Amino acid sequence: MTKTQIKAKKEEVEPEILVFCCNWCSYAGADLAGVSRFQYPPNIRIIRVMCSGRVDPSFILRAFKDGVDGVLISGCHIGDCHYISGNEYTRKRFEKLHKVIIEQLGIDPRRIRLEWISASEGKQFADLIKDFTNEIKKLGLVKQYYLV
Amino acid sequence: MEGSVLVIGGGIAGIQTSLDLTELGFKVYLVERTPSIGGRMAQLDKTFPTNDCSLCILAPKMVEVFRNPNIELMTYHEVKEVEGKPGNFEVTILKKPRYIEESKCKGCGDCAAKCPKIEVPNLFDMNLGKRKSIYIPFPQAVPPVYVIDPKLCLKLTKDVCGVCSKVCKAEAINYDQKIEEIEIKVGAIVVSTGFDMFGEELSSRWGYEYKNVVNALEYERILCASGPFAGHVLRPSDQKEPEKIAFIQCAGSRDLQEGIPYCSSVCCMYTAKEAIITKEHSENAECFIFKHEIRAFGKNFYEFTRRAEEEYNVNYIQTKISSIEEEKDSNDLIIYYEDLEEGSFKDFKANLVVLATPLVPSIGTRDLASILDIEIDSYGFFREKNSFYKSLSSRKGIFLTGFCQGPLDIPETVANASGVASEVATLLSSKKFTQIKEKVFEISEKQVKNSEIPRIGVLICHCGINIGKYVNVPSVVEYIAQLPNVVHCEDNLYSCSSDSQERIKELIIDKNLNRFIVASCTPRTHESLFQETCQEAGLNKYLFEMVNIRDQCSWVHMNEIEAATLKAKDLIRMAVAKSKLLIPQKEDSLKITPTALVIGGGISGMTAGLDIANKGFDVFLIEIEEELGGNLRYLNKLFPNHDKASDFVNPIIEKVENHNKIQIFRNSVIRDIKGYIGNYNVIILNSDKHEVELKIGTIIVATGAKELKLKHISGTNIEKESNIFTQLELEKKLDKKEIGWIKKSKRITMILCAGARQDEGITYCSNICCCVSLKNIRVLKEINPDLQIIVLYRDLQMAKKEFENYYRERRNDAIFLRYSLDKAPKLRKNTKKDESYSITVFDTNLQDYVEIESDMIILSTPMIPQDGLEELAKMLKVPLDQSGFFLEAHVKLRPLDFATDGIFLCGCAQWPKNIQDSISQAKGAAGRASRFLNAKEIQTSGLISEVKEGKCIGCGKCVETCPYNAIELVEVSRDYEIASLIINKSSVNAALCKGCGTCAATCPVGAISVKHYDFNQINVMIDAYLLEKSY
Repeated sequence: MTKTQIKAKKEEVEPEILVFCCNWCSYAGADLAGVSRFQYPPNIRIIRVMCSGRVDPSFILRAFKDGVDGVLISGCHIGDCHYISGNEYTRKRFEKLHKVIIEQLGIDPRRIRLEWISASEGKQFADLIKDFTNEIKKLGLVKQYYLV
Repeated sequence: MEGSVLVIGGGIAGIQTSLDLTELGFKVYLVERTPSIGGRMAQLDKTFPTNDCSLCILAPKMVEVFRNPNIELMTYHEVKEVEGKPGNFEVTILKKPRYIEESKCKGCGDCAAKCPKIEVPNLFDMNLGKRKSIYIPFPQAVPPVYVIDPKLCLKLTKDVCGVCSKVCKAEAINYDQKIEEIEIKVGAIVVSTGFDMFGEELSSRWGYEYKNVVNALEYERILCASGPFAGHVLRPSDQKEPEKIAFIQCAGSRDLQEGIPYCSSVCCMYTAKEAIITKEHSENAECFIFKHEIRAFGKNFYEFTRRAEEEYNVNYIQTKISSIEEEKDSNDLIIYYEDLEEGSFKDFKANLVVLATPLVPSIGTRDLASILDIEIDSYGFFREKNSFYKSLSSRKGIFLTGFCQGPLDIPETVANASGVASEVATLLSSKKFTQIKEKVFEISEKQVKNSEIPRIGVLICHCGINIGKYVNVPSVVEYIAQLPNVVHCEDNLYSCSSDSQERIKELIIDKNLNRFIVASCTPRTHESLFQETCQEAGLNKYLFEMVNIRDQCSWVHMNEIEAATLKAKDLIRMAVAKSKLLIPQKEDSLKITPTALVIGGGISGMTAGLDIANKGFDVFLIEIEEELGGNLRYLNKLFPNHDKASDFVNPIIEKVENHNKIQIFRNSVIRDIKGYIGNYNVIILNSDKHEVELKIGTIIVATGAKELKLKHISGTNIEKESNIFTQLELEKKLDKKEIGWIKKSKRITMILCAGARQDEGITYCSNICCCVSLKNIRVLKEINPDLQIIVLYRDLQMAKKEFENYYRERRNDAIFLRYSLDKAPKLRKNTKKDESYSITVFDTNLQDYVEIESDMIILSTPMIPQDGLEELAKMLKVPLDQSGFFLEAHVKLRPLDFATDGIFLCGCAQWPKNIQDSISQAKGAAGRASRFLNAKEIQTSGLISEVKEGKCIGCGKCVETCPYNAIELVEVSRDYEIASLIINKSSVNAALCKGCGTCAATCPVGAISVKHYDFNQINVMIDAYLLEKSY
């Protein structure tokens, strides 16, 4: 397959998903999925941040403006935050800002998710990616439905 | 004298001691007999009472040990011989053959994947999982080095196979390794060899031989997401989900027939935890806890067990177990037991039984004792020299920490480990920093200006075949090499090997690179290695960026080489985009004023103060009262050794008073605290009501606790009753010469949990009251052997190693009746003349009401927080917990720290505790504080928040959000043509900021950002991913 063909194929059916992982729990959970060789769909790209509390609403907006099909924010379980309470803010922000913003843009709120993954949840990370990718695939690619 | 220390045992106790010791200025040899550090804590699924993921909090510490240049990690080693004396021990250590060259193994796992040897039970999974004959104990093992099991390996046993050697690209396999002897010299030795859990050692009535009877550690592995059943609650016989799970507490503990007379201390809590997690995993599971007594005496412990019962519908049954038998066809278990609440014999059918079996000294403890020439006690644990200083072994210079000395939970272990590190540091004080390596960079850092055109070098790793087999690395190299600003891109076999580090340096210098990227494995383990390499080549370490194409590409998309290759290209392109915007960061150093302020002059404060002063630092000790000594001044005799309290505490007070490094402020209070770690300005109002200003480097909070004074007991007003008093009031009376009244008394009743463990008000268990009560029983009986003492109790918290025996002896001295909260004892005063009382109580063992006549009633009331803590907490900017005690940074692994750096906590200010634990914590807090005082200056991280003052509107949202109090609003004057205005601006304290970036996401105007993860850097990554595809 040539590069153009790959590109064409990718744009046909393969959604693009951006994942924010906190360094201490979720990124470690993703690492464990790797170490354990749990296979999951190759549609995600992870951006590592120190804390899920770093994920600013503007990042979400930018990603959707750039045409992303789904965004996953992942942090430590509530109570486990390496920075004591950063994920509490993530949770509040997610409900009150992130979801609201993309809904107002007319984008299906199922395209954005917040999930807690601990460092020992490699399996759960892989399952989550499978599940989210499938859901986004069902929703279809953003470019087919929206003018962004 | 040597400036180095041998630590034996790499569990959490050994890890914490080692880390603290290096910070206190000593080189550490950490010897662990298994192939990985981590110990028992690494095996746990979650930790009580917060249900934190155990490995999530432990793994960073394990990695820290691995990276620490001053810890020589000797895993798969054992101590053979020890000679010498304190300060100068000569130790012979055996290095067991791994048959793998540790320096060459990259932990990639190619060998195990190809190893043909049939899988055998994995010890880490308590033999429930499987491993090959070449294996790594668990995925996060430290060091990440494989080991060959010589009993199984076909090459070593039969000289056939050898496939691992063929597939290992790193050429790390060496079948010819032999046992080696290594000689080291150390100044002190710390023993932290931990515990084992009984299984087949139990007598047959517990049914451990049956497939579906597991001990609690085995069950932890069953629960764990990375365990043998991937976190599904399944039973071993048929791997089906059990519906009825029975948890049996005290399965062999507190049992003279099993030879375990003591209480293992942690089982009530982990059983409640395991039951809760079970319910979270499978909704249909029903959990039954067959209890003997609930010993839940730590912070939020009792409430945790209540939650298990009330919120998670875990059924607690008060029982005595007769036997457990298996039903043949179903492999279900029949538990035969006596229901103590109903007084009848019953049976119960369960699908799975979890036994809380005794925790015993780890195997080999006796051998190690004879090698070290230290004593063992009657329980088989190492013997402490003194009941109040449990860390001293019977031989000077050899210290004990953690479970090897007796049952402890994790926070107690961590506090104790920090305390031992501190004691060692005091012993070897003259040699501190003599054997510590300080990293010096020979090439000075080159200046990289923001305006300079980025010249990026990229190294792409094959990781043997781990990446190369599933990602088309040459095509990635070709693609990345043509991206703008990428000056050079190449691939190699192992980026982490030492020759690769030389290559990276060469590239940076020869090609005049000002950014570097490695695409290989996870930054969590390898980033600091590459950062250091960059720094060695004169490139600021913050100009390095790492991409994880192994854990995120090759290993998780093994059947999709094209997609995995595309993903690798995307991820590296995103890193290239970010890399262009990287800015060199400076790690500022911060001067530390070498003084400590200790708040509180009780046993904790005095111990901490002495410990720090003995290390040569100035200590200011502030006490709100006239006298030092705290609660100990009012005690009569001490539990458990019955020393006179004054004989114990007076010499300590004298030492504090006469120490030339300690300045005492009596009758004094704190007025104001300003500043931050290393640089506090504290204003004290002294006994003359003068304000004194002190310059302080670090603060220890040791404000203690006080006894609750009850006004009512079950509805009866007792304020004016002179024959009803508390244990502390009894102690005060006993301490006086006049004790004729005891000889005259005939009947005394003690009511335990008076005002504690209630549904409302004080809901917690205050830990020490049971011990105090039992001690006073013995004291009273010694004075008047004819005295009849009745104890009304709910559960007796006699959880430490020698406590159970103490309780066993007291049963000859008193009658123990158990009551329940819903049928609490009722008092009635008989006549006004002889002041005797009638007490009606429902005895839960008899299942009937009992009426008791008593001349005197002694109430065991809980310890409550001291007055005025809210005000102090506000000044210190540290939090209180829901019960009003101080709240530590992390309940498991940072029990003595506050989230705010530079302030520490010990003793009853944190939670009610006995003298031993207060001393242990005080020494620990002193050690934690001394790390900073020692350092003279500390490095602040480069990854911190920064404020763009022009954009900041001074709203203070970031101040509210910051969990570390690192941001404050400062007043800034702005001059305009017609006027000057004072406005607020946020200001970040580099010493306190941890770089989480929560403030940045909170700021409504984007004025605050976090370095290395700033808005542009993340935005260009998003853009690079979604807009710049150009394959």
